[in-house]
Amino acid sequence: MAARVIVVTSGKGGVGKTTTVANLGTGLALRQKKVVMIDTDIGLRNLDLLMGMENRICFDLINVAENECRSFRQALIKDKRVENLFLLPASQIKNKDALTAEQMVRIVDELKEEFDYILIDSPAGIESGFENAVAPATEAIVVTNPEVPAVRDADRIIGLLQAKKIYEPLLVLNRLRSDMVKKRDMLDVDDINDILAIKLLGVVPEDEQIIIATNKGEPVVFNQQSKAGEAFRNIVRRLEGEAVPFMSFNTEPGVFGRFWKMLHGR
Amino acid sequence: MSFATKSLFSEQLVFKGLKQGLTLFIPEDKPFTHWLGVLDEQLERAKSFFRGGSILVELGERKLSPRELSELKAVLTKYQMTIKAFNPLAKKLFSARMKMDEPAPSGVLLVKGTVRNGQRLEHNGDIVVKGDVNPGGELIATGDIIVLGVLRGIAHAGVRGNVQAEIIALTLAPVQLRIAHIYSRAPEGMEVGQGPEIAHIKGETIVVERL
Repeated sequence: MAARVIVVTSGKGGVGKTTTVANLGTGLALRQKKVVMIDTDIGLRNLDLLMGMENRICFDLINVAENECRSFRQALIKDKRVENLFLLPASQIKNKDALTAEQMVRIVDELKEEFDYILIDSPAGIESGFENAVAPATEAIVVTNPEVPAVRDADRIIGLLQAKKIYEPLLVLNRLRSDMVKKRDMLDVDDINDILAIKLLGVVPEDEQIIIATNKGEPVVFNQQSKAGEAFRNIVRRLEGEAVPFMSFNTEPGVFGRFWKMLHGR
Repeated sequence: MSFATKSLFSEQLVFKGLKQGLTLFIPEDKPFTHWLGVLDEQLERAKSFFRGGSILVELGERKLSPRELSELKAVLTKYQMTIKAFNPLAKKLFSARMKMDEPAPSGVLLVKGTVRNGQRLEHNGDIVVKGDVNPGGELIATGDIIVLGVLRGIAHAGVRGNVQAEIIALTLAPVQLRIAHIYSRAPEGMEVGQGPEIAHIKGETIVVERL
């Protein structure tokens, strides 16, 4: 068994990287895949909170990197709701310099044999933390929001990923508000596809259930009533190679030119 | 194509102050070597005036062989003059012309795929992009820039002072255009044009026209 190693990244902070990792990890495990999620946001870890695992952390990624625990198994936290779902948490007291790309590659190499999926949650930014997160990955998911700065940063990240030989990253567009798109107050899916020109893995609508899920430590993918939950379940199926039609948000087609004008004053 | 370039003493070359700078007009008739001789004499007479100057040369439709070019340069070097650029009056698109970039341009750089935010391509010669140039992407060429897609980033053609350089895109929607020493920003409220467009220098500004 050799795992698919996927880094989830965005450049800009706060667009939903960690939310995406938590939901994809949970969603894949719900489909009987063996999944480990690695939080590489050292010093600003959040993935454990979203998974409701904070109180169970003993060892972390840095302990594993520095061989301060017997094996990585000691640091892995097993989810209590789903079989086959594990978290390798980040250290909260160290910073990004505590880890090297070589250590990440070695840890992922060890994990590879035991899992179907390794999801790496990347920190924001394009510095060493990003480099470490990408180093062991062979695939990438770029998360962005329908806002000009987020799309700009996503574009930058796609360039950097391609320089690291991840030529075909997949796009997750998070926090889309169809009402705003309809009024042409928000970038549409088509506008973003125009710029980024990479394969769209899924569109997640803005959903207050996400906030509730985040605070409860229970990924929204468990919630059968939530639109965002449904979107993440669809993304999981697409990641597994199923052809799932995109959810309809009743949006009108491309209004790119108009937006461009509005946002750039010309 | 003929210019009103002959002076009363038809055996003298005309220098004119154009917006781009002092321009030497070399008529299209008579062999080039003839005019070189005339030029040499003329400069000899007015040595101190031209010494150390940098001029433009208007050749009209005449094409120079590499040998003729080096002969022209040799004459000018004698009076410590240099050539800034050729054919400031040329309006023709895609006309074959001399580029004055040193060292010699090393051909065309073909870029396959999108030039993304944070990516900067510099090339001594022309750049052709088979794809888009996104905001934050930069193309810098001593020659022309051609984008077979949407140009949304920054393009700087003729970066070493070639005012003849052109920027062409299937959709021209840049943050900024730069040709030679001239920078320009799209005017406020301007619609993004439909269809291919070309940007080049006219007078002292960059103008965009449908291709």
